[in-house]
Amino acid sequence: MADRRTFLTGILAAALCPRPTWADVGSPKYLAAARMPDGGFVLAGLTGDGVAIFRIPLPGRGHAAAAHPSRPEAVAFARRPGTYAIVLDCLSGRPRLQIEAPRGRHFYGHGAFSADGSLLFTTENDFDTSRGMVGIWDAADGYARAGEMSSGGIGPHDVQLMPDRRTLVVANGGIETHPDSGRAKLNLPAMRPNLSYLDPSGGIVDQIELKPEFGRNSIRHLAVGQDGTVAIALQWQGDLSRQPPLLGVHLQGGPVNLLAAPSEDHVRMQGYAGSIAFSGDRRNVAITSPRGGVLQVFGTEDGSYEGQLQEVDVCGISHSEAGFVFTTGTGLVAGITGLSEVWKVRHDCQWDNHLVAVA
Amino acid sequence: MTGKSVLLLGLCAQLALPAFADGSAIDRVLDEHVLPGYRGFAQESAVLAGTAAKQCSSTDAGLRESFHSSFDAWIRVSHLRFGPSEVEDRAFALAFWPDTKGKTPKALRNLILNSDPVVESREEFRQVSIAGRGFHALEFMLYDPEFAELGEPDYRCALIRAITADIAESAAAILADWEGGHADLMRTAGSNDTYQSQQEALKRIFTALTTGLQFTSEARLGRPLGTFERPRPKRSEARRSGRSLNHVILSLESARDLSALLSDRTPELDAALSAALIQAGQIDDPIFAGVSDPRGRFEVEALQQSIDHVRQILTDETGPRLGLAAGFNLLDGD
Repeated sequence: MADRRTFLTGILAAALCPRPTWADVGSPKYLAAARMPDGGFVLAGLTGDGVAIFRIPLPGRGHAAAAHPSRPEAVAFARRPGTYAIVLDCLSGRPRLQIEAPRGRHFYGHGAFSADGSLLFTTENDFDTSRGMVGIWDAADGYARAGEMSSGGIGPHDVQLMPDRRTLVVANGGIETHPDSGRAKLNLPAMRPNLSYLDPSGGIVDQIELKPEFGRNSIRHLAVGQDGTVAIALQWQGDLSRQPPLLGVHLQGGPVNLLAAPSEDHVRMQGYAGSIAFSGDRRNVAITSPRGGVLQVFGTEDGSYEGQLQEVDVCGISHSEAGFVFTTGTGLVAGITGLSEVWKVRHDCQWDNHLVAVA
Repeated sequence: MTGKSVLLLGLCAQLALPAFADGSAIDRVLDEHVLPGYRGFAQESAVLAGTAAKQCSSTDAGLRESFHSSFDAWIRVSHLRFGPSEVEDRAFALAFWPDTKGKTPKALRNLILNSDPVVESREEFRQVSIAGRGFHALEFMLYDPEFAELGEPDYRCALIRAITADIAESAAAILADWEGGHADLMRTAGSNDTYQSQQEALKRIFTALTTGLQFTSEARLGRPLGTFERPRPKRSEARRSGRSLNHVILSLESARDLSALLSDRTPELDAALSAALIQAGQIDDPIFAGVSDPRGRFEVEALQQSIDHVRQILTDETGPRLGLAAGFNLLDGD
C-alpha cells in the first residue's frame, strides 16, 4: 500500500508531466517489423494510410510485436528461437529495456498485453521438456518476470486477449523444436496442435484439436473478433497433394469450422497461411500466403469464398475501417476494400511476417 | 495489377540469367538424380529384404552389409521429400529420426515383449507406429545390445524380416509412384494442377535441396553439438551402426549432384560444396563422439559453418539465378 507521501508525489507527478499516450507519437495504427536496405532491422509505426511515422532499430530480425494498450510502448519479439524481446519507447524512439527469456526457454515471436496493460504475456518454449509455456511479465514494474503457466500444448506461437478482457487464446502449433537444432522440426509425424483458451490463473477453459486427418495442420496465427469469434491460420506439414483447409473459425464451446477456397485457388496457398485478420466491419476474414503470393478473403457470416488478390510475398495483414491493410516482403503497404486495392505506399524495406494493430 | 505484373516480369528477366530455367533442368533432375536414386534405393531394399529372409541373425555380416547399402541409398534420396515419399508417411516410416522421446525403442519393446503377431502379416505390420518401422528400428535390432537379447530369438528374427520387407515395400511404392505419374506431372508442369508452372516444379526441387542441407546442418550436426556447455554426442544420427558422419557426407554428395543438374554456372557454390565435403572427409570421428572435447567440437562446428555457407549461397545467389524469387516472408516459414 502506498503511503501518503508517495501518493501525493504521484498526483503531483501526474499533473506536472502527464503520461504520454500513442497520440503523442502521431497515433500509429499499426506496428510492423522490417529489414532495411542496409541490412539492419527495425520496428516501424504506420499510420492508417501506410505512412511510416517512426522506425526504431532492432538488433536482429523481428517477428511480431505487441502494442501497449495505452502507453506509446511496443514490445518487439525476436524471431524464433530468439531469447530476447525489446521494449521500445515509441516517443523517444529508443529501446527502454530488453526482456530476457528465462534459462531453458526461448520466445516464439508473439505476445499480448492484458487489457489494462499491466501484464505482458509471451509464448515460450521450455525446450528441454518441449513444453509450451506462457510467460507473464509485470509491465508496470520494468517487465519483471511475474509468473508463467502452461500453454496447453507444444510449440505455442500466437497469443491474443479475448474480448472478455481476461481470457487468453493460444495457438499451440504442435511442432517440437530445440534451439540446438535451429528451426528444425523434430516431431512432425507425432504432432498434435491445439487451440487453447486460458483463464488468467492458467486454467484451460476450452481446448480444441483438429480432426486426426488434419493433425499435421499447425495452428499458428490468430485473429480475434469483438464477438469472441477466433479465426485460425494453419500451416500444413504433410503431403501437399492433400491440400487441406488452412483457415478455421471457432467460437468457444463449439467445433471448428474449416474453410477453403475452391480447389484452383486453394492450391495457390501452397499449404501455408502466414497471417490472418478480420476486416474492420467484421464481415470478412482474410489469410495470406507469401509462398503463393495470394491474399484470400472469406465471408464470416456464411464462410463463403469472396476471392483472392495476388501480390508478391504478401504476408502481414490487419484490419482497417474499410477492410484490410496488408504488407509485403517487397516493401508494399496497401489498403483494400472488398478485393480492390484502394491505396498503396511503397517503402524501401522488406516488411516482415506480421502487421499488428495498435489498440 | 496487370501493369505491375508486367513490370515485375521485366525486372525478373533482367536480374535472373537462368542457366537452365526451363523444362530441360526438370528433365535432367528427374532422369539423372530422382529416378536413378529411387531405383537404386528400391534395388538395395529388395536385396536387404531378401538377405533377411535367408539370414536374420542380428550379427550376420551379410545382413549388416545390406543394411548399410540400403540405408546409404535412402540417405542419397532422403532430401527429395515431396510427392511420392509423403504419401502414407512413407518417408517417416523409413526413417523416424530425430526421435526425441525414444519412441523407437519403446515401440520395439512393445512388439517383442508382447510377441505381437503383427510381424506375421505385411498388411498388419504397415499399421505399426512409424517409430517401430524403418531403418532406425532395424538399426536397434541389429546393433543395440538390449535388443540383441530381448525376448525370443524367433520373434526377433520375424521382426527383422517384417521391418526389412516393409522397407522394401515402401521403397518400391515410392519408385512406382514416381515412374507411374509424379515424374510426368513435373515434366508437364504448367498443364496440371499439381505443378501449375515449370517455375513451381523447379521451386519444389530447389526447396528439397535447401531443406535437405538445413536438416543436415541443424539436425544431423546440430543435435550432437548441443551447446558448448552441454554437448550431446549420444544424439548423433544412427550412431549405433556408426553412420552419423556418413549421412552428412552422403547428403552433401547428393546436394552437389542435384545443384549441378539445376544450374551449370555456379562456381562459387561448387567450390563451397567441395570444401564442405573435403572438410567432412577429414573428420576422423564417425559418430561425432568427440563433440564434448574442444578440438573434436571445433571440427564439427567448422563443418556446420561450411554447410551453412553453402545454404547462404543457395538462397542469395543460386535461387535468384534460377528465377526463383527469394521472398523475405516466403522463406521464413513461421
